Amino acid sequence: MAKKNKNLAKKEAIKGFSISSIYLVYAAIFWGYPFVWLFILVFSKWKFVGKPQFVGFKNITRVLSDPLFWKTVVNVFRFMLYYIPLVLLGAMLFAIALNKLKYGKTFVTLSFLVANVSSGVAYSIMFSNLFAVNGPVNRLLYNLFGVTIPWFSSPSLAMFSIALIVIWKFIGYYGLILYAGLSAIPESLYEAAELDGANGFTKFFKITLPLLNPSIVMVMVLAITLAFGIFTEPYMITGGGPMRSTLTPMMHMITTAFQRMDPTYAATMAVFVAGISFGMVWLVRKIMEREVDLV
Amino acid sequence: MKRVLTLSIVMLLCVFSFSVTKLVFWTAPDPQQEVYWKELVAEYEQLHPEIDIEWSTIPAAGSSEEAILTAIASGRAPDVCTNIFSGFAAQLVEIDQLMELDELEGFDEVVEKRKMGNILEGWKIDGKNYVIPIYSNPILMWWRTSLLEEVGFDSPPRTYSEIYEFSKKFVIPQERYSVQVIQGRNWWDRWFDFITYYYAASGGEPYIDASKGRAVFNDEAGKEVATFIDTMFKNDWTAVELVSNPFYIGAIAGGLRGPWEISFAQTQFPDIVNDITISPPPVPDNYPKDKPIYTFADAKGLVIFKSTKHPEEAWEFVKWIFTKEDFDVKWLEYTKMPPAREDLLTNEAFEDFWNENPLAAEYAKYVAYAIPPAPITQTVDVQDLMTFELIEPLMYQKKDVQKALDDAVKAINKILW
Repeated sequence: MAKKNKNLAKKEAIKGFSISSIYLVYAAIFWGYPFVWLFILVFSKWKFVGKPQFVGFKNITRVLSDPLFWKTVVNVFRFMLYYIPLVLLGAMLFAIALNKLKYGKTFVTLSFLVANVSSGVAYSIMFSNLFAVNGPVNRLLYNLFGVTIPWFSSPSLAMFSIALIVIWKFIGYYGLILYAGLSAIPESLYEAAELDGANGFTKFFKITLPLLNPSIVMVMVLAITLAFGIFTEPYMITGGGPMRSTLTPMMHMITTAFQRMDPTYAATMAVFVAGISFGMVWLVRKIMEREVDLV
Repeated sequence: MKRVLTLSIVMLLCVFSFSVTKLVFWTAPDPQQEVYWKELVAEYEQLHPEIDIEWSTIPAAGSSEEAILTAIASGRAPDVCTNIFSGFAAQLVEIDQLMELDELEGFDEVVEKRKMGNILEGWKIDGKNYVIPIYSNPILMWWRTSLLEEVGFDSPPRTYSEIYEFSKKFVIPQERYSVQVIQGRNWWDRWFDFITYYYAASGGEPYIDASKGRAVFNDEAGKEVATFIDTMFKNDWTAVELVSNPFYIGAIAGGLRGPWEISFAQTQFPDIVNDITISPPPVPDNYPKDKPIYTFADAKGLVIFKSTKHPEEAWEFVKWIFTKEDFDVKWLEYTKMPPAREDLLTNEAFEDFWNENPLAAEYAKYVAYAIPPAPITQTVDVQDLMTFELIEPLMYQKKDVQKALDDAVKAINKILW
């Protein structure tokens, strides 16, 4: 009997391993190999040909003392400063409105998701036309109030304008995540609170918001990882300007690797960016994440 | 008997298939060029059945340079490749990737036959030829004739003062501007604004002394150009963030353009084509009237990679391309971009084309006065600093002209050293 069980366990193990082996092979090729290669590059000097030469911590000290790299990191934080509060607020309002809708939910959801599946290049061209100096928005403002807004040409406003475009893209997607969280909150909780005399404000802050914690944290994590990888919008619209105010680490890395022909330095910057974004995600989870129990 | 016949056919096929030499050939991802190269490759393969040219456009990536470098890194570099600009060629030479062409047999005959001896001088890297230029696109000013006439200009403004005068009469804020002086903020935009203006103002002098590794554009010509840019922005006569195709919708009256724009204009805005006047880039007021006006050459060439397993076959193919009688005539017909040769205006083979294509003919006049970019390996950094230290401060009135020029030269010299 024991032998039979052992055989069965072995069979199960083989079956399980064969099923997961596809993923393991995939991960080894597309994740493991580049990951190992990345760390080799961080400690080497290599220009696409020949064997990488070991240079110790030279690339790392270079990143630490490169003002341009740190400027791009500061730009990401400036982006997050505009992006995260506004996109959270927008997505929350969208989720609440969707929750209250009786008809046409699918239509509204799909309308918002269209932005999310649009091509980055296409909508970047659309927005740069819309907000151009002689574009419709500025023409209207000029005709009505005699002023124009330098959406993409003011160093202090350009990143905000980029953030607005990315908010437009992601509001529906994040809104749906929050909506799923909202739908999972049992109606009975609100009814019980009403019996206890809670008003709308109290219900929102004492029931909705705490119970939405996992969804909010998830949206925050997605928003942070997105912020560190932002590329298409600034590349297409502002080219990193004005005065490098929208230059992002991703743009800097691509130019460094493929135009300055310095892939090892670009790889080192990539490791730093990954570290900083991981640190941010960890911090947000540490500060915000709460255990939520509906029982 | 039947068996013997089958066996011989199979053997013959085997021998035949093994004797075919495969050459990988990449060309620029441009619709007009694609049609052209496809025909050419087919013709070569028909003439040389022993050669199989695996032709494709440079794989899709952020830029041609990115695709080529990725291919080199993964050991899949092509044997022959087009679309290489002089700065990128210098980078590839630095990492020992290109074959030196002038030591190959028959190189001098190719140069002589294609009449490109002087042009090749501007392409030398460390005194050697690694690239054969295919085309040389002078950058010239396009003007909307009707908009010039609207404010009483019968011919395009030649000098900076004439542009100021035109701007005063023409500009309506937030609606239309006179000239798009600055093309954008990307590093490559400097080729099509500051560097073009500098070549025009200086009479074709280099902006970087490549032999000494020093930027030299903070001279009198540089100051004239910077003052022009500064004046245009100070008076709101120009803007950068304009709606798409501002020239064709009349949001700007003029701007620097390359000849590749002719095909675009003819297909996308056929009604506007007859309303275009082409002139050389603007020059300072004291620029002699009888002196030719120089400009920037957006030029790309062809290289053979050292990694090729068939250097002889690759060179034979390249030789055939450039000595082919109708190579450049057909190139012109398909792409409208002037071939990099010195006899464009004197060679009868091109005459019919110039007569039928007056816009392209204007470009041909300036091929001899079009200068390629500085052959340096730090093109990206140099032009990025030009943007950050010189162009943007002038756009936002953050620095005076002399300081912006001096700061840019100082920062560039720091990286060139």
